[in-house]
Amino acid sequence: MSAPGQARDKDVASFRTRLFTAMIVIVAAVTVLGLYLAQRKVTADAERNLQENFRAELSSLHKLEELRHAALADRCNALAGKSRIHAAIEDNAIDLLYPSAKDELRDLMEGEEPPPEQAAQSLHATFYRFLDGSGAVLKPPNPKEVGQLGRKAEAQLSLTKLPKTQQIGYVQEKISTDGGAVAEVLAVPIFSTDTGNVISALVVGFKPFQPRQSDAGAGMKSGIWVNRQLHLPSLPKSAEAFLSEKIANAVANSDRAENNFRVNVDGAPQLLFYKRLNPGSLFPAAYEICVYPLADSMAQLQRLRWQIGGAGAFLLLGGFIASHFVALRFSAPVKKLALDSEENRARRRRAEVALASAAEELERSTRYSADASHQLKSPVTVLRVGLESLLAREDFKPEVYEEFSALLHQTHRLTGVIDDLLLLSRMDAGHLQIASTPVNLSQLVNEWLDDLGALPDSPDVKIEKEFPAGLFVAGEKRYTSLIVQNLLENARKYNRPGGRIRVSAHSNGSDVVLTIGNNGRTIPRGENIFERFHHNAMPSAASGHGIGLNLARELARLHGGDLCLVRSENDWTEFEVRFPAADGVNAVA
Amino acid sequence: MRLRGLLWCSAILPLFPVALPASATVEGRVELPKSRSAPVQAKRYEIVSKGGVLSTQPPLAVVYLDGSFPQPASLPTKEITQKDLTFIPALLPVRVGTKVEFPNLDDTYHNIFSYSPAKRFDLGRYRPDERPIPSQVFDKPGLVTLRCDIHEHMRGLILVLITPHFVITDTAGHFRLSGLPAGHYTLKAWIDSKTTQEKPVDLKNGQTLHVDFP
Repeated sequence: MSAPGQARDKDVASFRTRLFTAMIVIVAAVTVLGLYLAQRKVTADAERNLQENFRAELSSLHKLEELRHAALADRCNALAGKSRIHAAIEDNAIDLLYPSAKDELRDLMEGEEPPPEQAAQSLHATFYRFLDGSGAVLKPPNPKEVGQLGRKAEAQLSLTKLPKTQQIGYVQEKISTDGGAVAEVLAVPIFSTDTGNVISALVVGFKPFQPRQSDAGAGMKSGIWVNRQLHLPSLPKSAEAFLSEKIANAVANSDRAENNFRVNVDGAPQLLFYKRLNPGSLFPAAYEICVYPLADSMAQLQRLRWQIGGAGAFLLLGGFIASHFVALRFSAPVKKLALDSEENRARRRRAEVALASAAEELERSTRYSADASHQLKSPVTVLRVGLESLLAREDFKPEVYEEFSALLHQTHRLTGVIDDLLLLSRMDAGHLQIASTPVNLSQLVNEWLDDLGALPDSPDVKIEKEFPAGLFVAGEKRYTSLIVQNLLENARKYNRPGGRIRVSAHSNGSDVVLTIGNNGRTIPRGENIFERFHHNAMPSAASGHGIGLNLARELARLHGGDLCLVRSENDWTEFEVRFPAADGVNAVA
Repeated sequence: MRLRGLLWCSAILPLFPVALPASATVEGRVELPKSRSAPVQAKRYEIVSKGGVLSTQPPLAVVYLDGSFPQPASLPTKEITQKDLTFIPALLPVRVGTKVEFPNLDDTYHNIFSYSPAKRFDLGRYRPDERPIPSQVFDKPGLVTLRCDIHEHMRGLILVLITPHFVITDTAGHFRLSGLPAGHYTLKAWIDSKTTQEKPVDLKNGQTLHVDFP
């Protein structure tokens, strides 16, 4: 291939490269987007799941609290309605407060501690205290009866003032080096039935709600953060202290009652939720803490990352292969197009050259035949007139007249050839116009057959006719007649003595088909009898000037029909000529 | 003249029989707080608590002559009944050492008790037919709030006084204390659990002193 071929290859290669680059960019973008979206979704899902878990955890806690609140509120209203409580508080007989309330609150403290699964339905309190008018704890005369508490723990029950509504608090029941236990306390105001004022408050301590591990999510740990100390028994001490500090920071830096953050405990990532358990309480702020290990969701995320990354790589590979094929597929037609166009150009050039030479040749031959026929016609006329005047004389011997007559016949033949040539040359030049009218083909054939029988040199042939009368064709009568004459003359001329001529015609709707067959020598296969100036290879007595068939075919075609040799074998030669039928005249045979 | 002599006599006469054992009289009016509602029954009083202050409704006051007087060998027994879920009388001033009986005239149980510093007691539950009638001796001066453990709204007051000279005003606040020894004393008017007004008085035998609170 030449220089343009190489440039074309280069173009195709660069097209392929561009296509491939575009595909890689798209696949990479889709992969990255997919990774990003999937990661975001997984993270959000995990967080939402954990959050729901946390909420469920809290809601069970709150349910218990509500139960306790309702029960205690009832209890305190009942207490406030008690004469002895009133008497003790109003009559400044504080020492009698605990004994007076003992009966009322006995069931709260007595009885077996319920098993953990019933704790939510139980009101089992571990201690209770009354607060005096200033919110300080009234010392019980007999701590054993109201649940013993350490001095520090008891001090946590004091409030700065008497509460008007229920207050939730969390106090460290036993303060010790190992963190101790946290008790939930409810402070319920006691209203004077006389004045409606808060005259005291009952503070009841419960075991804090312990979430059952089976309920919670896998590996979830929950606890309480109060007094800057975390109580999460399932965590090691060091982690507890570490988280406690983290929570303290988070609480100090945010005024939100609820939040979450990520922490690393002993190298394992965890999601820590916290929520204020006693918003607005007079007691110190306490937070519910839930720690969820993120290992599972991280693993899931990792797995997903691999999956999507793998899918992306796969897609990229697929894209690479696809783009390769697509580029090939796209470039192949381009390449082919380039090749084709070059070939086409060459072919067109050749065709143009051929066309030009053919046109030139045609013009030359047309001019030649026109010139020739004109040059020939006048001498023939002169010749014929001379012969006729000679024939008119009576002073010649009879054999001379015979000679003259033969010569005159030849001049007629010559005139016919010249006419034919003239007609051909007009046709070749495209000057011949057909004035189409309905022509009665049946009549035409009959006339010519009559003439044929009248000819002096007609051999002994039998004529068979097989066509309906009144078959009309569309054409010019002169030329239609010429065609029929040509074919019939040939059928007579090339017949053998004692042979027959068969003429049949029929209409098939759009066409009228005229078939003319004759006995005699057959035309060898491969011999182009329709060629102009054709002469059959085998010399015979009968011979034409070699343009009759050519002229007949050209004329038939000019009429929109055709002339062809149907068969020529076994002493039988048959030509078929089709003419367009005259519109609406013929009946279909 | 005769009429004037008669008038004179009548003025002097009362002094003499009483003046013989030497006595003085104080009378006057205590300005009582305005009653919040009109009394439904003339003789029914109840103890109400307003802002932790106990008083009678309609308001009454106890006027007494503060001071130390010789204790008699025996004191008459007083009575506060429980009738229609109220204490009658609602306010009872007594002298230190007085025994008060608490008969139950209702068809239901009562459980009278007091956590007051002046007297702590608990009579327990009893029915109207309880015999002997549950009683307490009030041997320490001060205000004792009576309550019923069963009927939370029931309130009664016993004002335990050292002096034997005391009187409850009428609903208009008028009082009259007679048979008082001459001397320099403080006259006090207990109006509610947080309000006691006092005025120094100089009592002279045979004299009637007019004192108004405030």
